[in-house]
Amino acid sequence: MTILAHLAALLLLPIVLVGIINRTRARWSGRKGPPILQGGFDLWRLLKKRPVYSEVTTGIFRLAPLVVLATTFVSGLLVPLVGRAAPLSFALDFVALAYLWALGRALMILAALDTGSPFEGMGASREATWAALAEPGLFLALGTLAAASGHSSFAELLPVQAVTPAAIVVRVGCALTLFLILQLEAARVPIDDPSTHLELTMIHEVMILDHSGPDLAALQYATGLKLTIGAGLIAALLNPLGPGEPAIWVAAVSLGLTFAVAIAIGCVEALTARLQLKAVPTYLVLGSLVGLLALLTAAFDFGARR
Amino acid sequence: MNLIAISALVLLIGAALSILLRSNVQRVAASLLTQAIATVCVVMTTLPILAQPGTELRDVFTWSYPVDQIAVHLDALGAFFLVWSLPMVLLGSIYAVGYLRPSFGTRHVGAHFALLNLTALSFLMIYTLESAIVFLLGWEIAAVCAWLLVIWDYGNQKIRFAGFNYLVSTHLGLFFLVAALMVLHSQTGSMDFESFSTFLNTPSTLRDTTFLLLVIAFGLKSAFFPFHTWLPRAHSAAPAHVSALMSGVIHKAGLFGLLRFTLLIKNPEAWMGWTLIGFSALSAVVGALYSTSQRDLKRLLGYSSTENVGIAGMAFGVGTLGLCWQQPTLVALGFTGGILHILNHAIFKCLLFYAAGGVYQSTHTVDLERLGGLLRKLPWVGLCFLVGGLAIAGMPGLNGFTSEFLIFGSLLEPVPVGGLERTALVFAAAVLAMVGGISAFAVVRSFGLTFLGVPRDPAVHPKTPTHPAMLLTMGVHAAGILAIGLAPDLAFRLVAAPARLFTQLVPAAAPRAVDPVALLAPIANLAALLIVIVGGLVLLRGWLATRAPARTHVTWSCGYPAPTARIQYTGTSFTAPLSRLFAGVLPMLRREKLPVGPFPQSGDYLHTHSVDAVERRMFELIGNSDQLVTETAAKISEESRLSFGLGLLVLVIMIGLLFAGKLGLL
Repeated sequence: MTILAHLAALLLLPIVLVGIINRTRARWSGRKGPPILQGGFDLWRLLKKRPVYSEVTTGIFRLAPLVVLATTFVSGLLVPLVGRAAPLSFALDFVALAYLWALGRALMILAALDTGSPFEGMGASREATWAALAEPGLFLALGTLAAASGHSSFAELLPVQAVTPAAIVVRVGCALTLFLILQLEAARVPIDDPSTHLELTMIHEVMILDHSGPDLAALQYATGLKLTIGAGLIAALLNPLGPGEPAIWVAAVSLGLTFAVAIAIGCVEALTARLQLKAVPTYLVLGSLVGLLALLTAAFDFGARR
Repeated sequence: MNLIAISALVLLIGAALSILLRSNVQRVAASLLTQAIATVCVVMTTLPILAQPGTELRDVFTWSYPVDQIAVHLDALGAFFLVWSLPMVLLGSIYAVGYLRPSFGTRHVGAHFALLNLTALSFLMIYTLESAIVFLLGWEIAAVCAWLLVIWDYGNQKIRFAGFNYLVSTHLGLFFLVAALMVLHSQTGSMDFESFSTFLNTPSTLRDTTFLLLVIAFGLKSAFFPFHTWLPRAHSAAPAHVSALMSGVIHKAGLFGLLRFTLLIKNPEAWMGWTLIGFSALSAVVGALYSTSQRDLKRLLGYSSTENVGIAGMAFGVGTLGLCWQQPTLVALGFTGGILHILNHAIFKCLLFYAAGGVYQSTHTVDLERLGGLLRKLPWVGLCFLVGGLAIAGMPGLNGFTSEFLIFGSLLEPVPVGGLERTALVFAAAVLAMVGGISAFAVVRSFGLTFLGVPRDPAVHPKTPTHPAMLLTMGVHAAGILAIGLAPDLAFRLVAAPARLFTQLVPAAAPRAVDPVALLAPIANLAALLIVIVGGLVLLRGWLATRAPARTHVTWSCGYPAPTARIQYTGTSFTAPLSRLFAGVLPMLRREKLPVGPFPQSGDYLHTHSVDAVERRMFELIGNSDQLVTETAAKISEESRLSFGLGLLVLVIMIGLLFAGKLGLL
């Protein structure tokens, strides 16, 4: 039952969350905005289209979108999106998640280089650089939670245990770091702008310039999945319901918080400008520093407990 | 034990035959045949030791003065290193047949193959012998063989320079090793490793000094930062199989030494573990950074060796901490992960060098800025490079991920340690994660520039097809990567026994240990699931394509009507965002004559060259140190009372420390 709910969430949330973000942005600019499920219609239309492949590309270009989708989907099975449990849960599953994403990203970058297009090479270079800079933040945040909770799988390290001031600081700090990483991975403002039309300023969008039809659908869906996973992680982290509460409530609160994260992303997009490219590393290092702060707080906390 | 002696003898005979026989074909056949016999003998000896815990081989040979007796002691650690070292040298020799094929008609290749035989022999000495003197002899044979193998193309002055550079560096390491062994000999009166144990077990200042000497000696051998300066030169100068064997196999002797002495120390102190972690993390980060900025494919792979020994060293550091804190989880995960990473690195690094050699043989260049689009011309070489590259970046489903996962486990599995220590370990995990990200950067850059896109330089024509012997060697390595990646149990059969030597050192009463096998079990399933889903998606897209068939067209070039191959991203431009951030570590030399005016004349150029900061500063220091001192001294004002006071303070502290040391207060 939980697994079915989880799979349904993985199928629907990527579309719904993107819809919510777009709606939020539209509201801030005084428009009505597209329907919530517009992303779904777009995907359906793309699936029926004929793909076009560049003459210079090899099999890697054709394989990459599918690997990106598969790795993101599998990583989605590791994170508790509905309630407390995830379909797949094992020790250090967060390391597996980070490396699954890395595999998808590597194939994505290779596909971009495969086209021989200068713009795609540029996007690839930026994507690879930012990813390397964001990696420590992810591990600091999740490693801190693992150290603070004494467990090393998502299902055990995310739920609240003791509510102390230090624990709250740790949680909020880790959530902030994860939010930054979510902005990077899902290619959102202020790091990247999904609706930009200038190739020179694109990062993620420029890498998928040459993908079309079902391949493009796979990539867009995978980005939505990443958004879902990141938002779900933050929701599970901020979920205040303790272990005693019924699972259905936990699931409902998590879902509500996931939508709240999407609205937050939309608000950031509507209210802030995109960062200058040279400011992105600073922004990412800032995220890591917040994670480090959380780690130090946690160390202080369990230093006091011992 | 007889088998070990037989294989040593056979290897020597093979070396002699491959020099003396009449034709190159006979010489190579003699070398390969003897190596195959030796490999079979060694595998037959070592597999039982690895299969059954606690078994080991001991024997004594008599030799003349001053050694008198050579004690042979083959335990699980030595057996583990032997069981893959010899087969990989054999595979490298098979590769060499294809790689050196063009020289068969013109040169005496027997000497080269004899040196490969002697390299295998040096492994037998290093990994089995108990006597430090004969160990050093094996150590030297390996170093000199590696030097002579590097300068295969000795007519080229650059290659001779790289060779001498290597020879000098490796002997600097030897000084430290000899110094450490002299200390040990003076304290124990013996030259046998086992007799050092009691001295190394008792904490003392002398033990600490010995430990540091050993770390430097073994660090130089394995090319840890900042002792790596010889490595990029040697690796880019040597023939591909020699680079592969040096990086993947020969220099693992340094890590073997580290492990051997950790076993002898038994109860290390925490600072030793932290030193190892810090030193190794530095190597990993700097090695990874350098591997992103190189334009020579083989130099790039050389730097990535510095990175990977750093990763293994971090794991050993955590294991050492575990020994100190009596935490079996840390010991089990740290040492199992580190030892597995040594094996994994040997497999994928050799494969990458072999693939780079395939590129060189076909195009006569390994300059990333001139290559491109090779995947169509050399599909198998490209595929092997991709597999090796994704493995080295630790991608799930390949072998690199298994060891890195265990190392992450050793850093992140919650075991009861203090708050500060836990913080440091999580921080180390974050550093390791960054290393992973940077190494993925280096891999996609090198593979993308070499094999994807369109050829950057029209003068580069891949002609020669890859020799089957080279493809065979690469295929075996690629199969190894996939096998360990998809079924880590296979590797555990080799790794479990040496790791058990370390876990034994922790008392049985200690808390439960996380079992590395259990930790990795879900990973194999995850990889299988991934493959199934990708397969399903391929079928799904195939079905969609029956309704809306794909077509081909030119790459979208944003409306630009006359795209050329030169507008592709280059290696330097790909690295630019990263190298700008780490400009202090990655110095980039620029020579430029930029175009001026609306109609610039030809003759404009922009050259960039990424140089090694350590090497550059080292030569600067050697060349101009007197000038540097003078300049620094000139900056200090003579009049200021403040600087006089500070100088006095420093002097007092130094004298105080000196006395404190003399009186035994420190």
